[in-house]
Amino acid sequence: MAATFHWYESNGAGEVEEADISNINFGSNDSPNLNTTTYPITRGDASFEKYIRALFTGTWTEISNLKFWKSAGAYVTGEAIKAAANVVYAQPSVTPNADSDVPITEGAALAIQSAEGENVIEYGASGVSGYTGYIRLQEQTSGSTPAGAVNSKEFCMQYDEV
Amino acid sequence: MSNSIDINLSNENNAMNSLQFYWKAFFSSGKVIEQFENGIEHRFQEVKDDFENLIKFSLVNKDYSKYFVVDLEYGFILHNNYNLNNINFEQLEQKNNIRLIHFRRHFVEIGTKDLKEKSHQIIYFLGLQWQDSEEKNHKIILQIDENGDFIING
Repeated sequence: MAATFHWYESNGAGEVEEADISNINFGSNDSPNLNTTTYPITRGDASFEKYIRALFTGTWTEISNLKFWKSAGAYVTGEAIKAAANVVYAQPSVTPNADSDVPITEGAALAIQSAEGENVIEYGASGVSGYTGYIRLQEQTSGSTPAGAVNSKEFCMQYDEV
Repeated sequence: MSNSIDINLSNENNAMNSLQFYWKAFFSSGKVIEQFENGIEHRFQEVKDDFENLIKFSLVNKDYSKYFVVDLEYGFILHNNYNLNNINFEQLEQKNNIRLIHFRRHFVEIGTKDLKEKSHQIIYFLGLQWQDSEEKNHKIILQIDENGDFIING
């Protein structure tokens, strides 16, 4: 009924896409649904970047005004999540990137476009895949980050549908 | 040490909440299109395709206890038969180029361990815009929550 969306994550040099991911755990490995116990992030290091995007399916006419922000989950000392929207896919890197902190309010939210670079995802239109652009996320820590698991986070995805 | 973050998305990723309000469009030809009809869902595109002949557009909840009607001939909004524009129908202001405003805004929160979807809130935007006799633009928009409570922006 109406529109729905599924999250996808892309990994690897040749971009292998995983559909319907169950989490976006950050860790020291470039893989979807990774186990954080197996692939912890060492204090002072960054996680591998995550390239995620949503695919809209179902019935709609237009989807627009897509926004993404961190809505809950406190950082611990020295922790940050970096984010960029509508980026071109590249092999995820573990080197700390220079992206901005992920916004934490709707007013400052990342504006997400379609994969084709449009502000509107038009149902059934020629050349429209239904995918959003990529959102790149990376967890970064510092030497002052305390040992142990950090807090879980929540993200909000907003969109207008008609 | 471990600095990993667990951010669990849904297994189904984003199961759509059931809509609480459905739309119904009335045209000057007598044609009526309901969003859900005979087991199929009509796309709003069908309304857009015949916009010039659209005379009324309504949002109705499942048990028909709450409904909102936008009258596009005269430019007013009814809520359960109550006129929201405070219009004196005998002195109805001339409105030109009356156009419908309608969309649903979704707020989907993902994350937290072992939860498919933290929350999924839908706000229904319904209203109209028009030009007065001096060609000034006006609009009035209702933001309706899933319980049918609303605020008016104009």
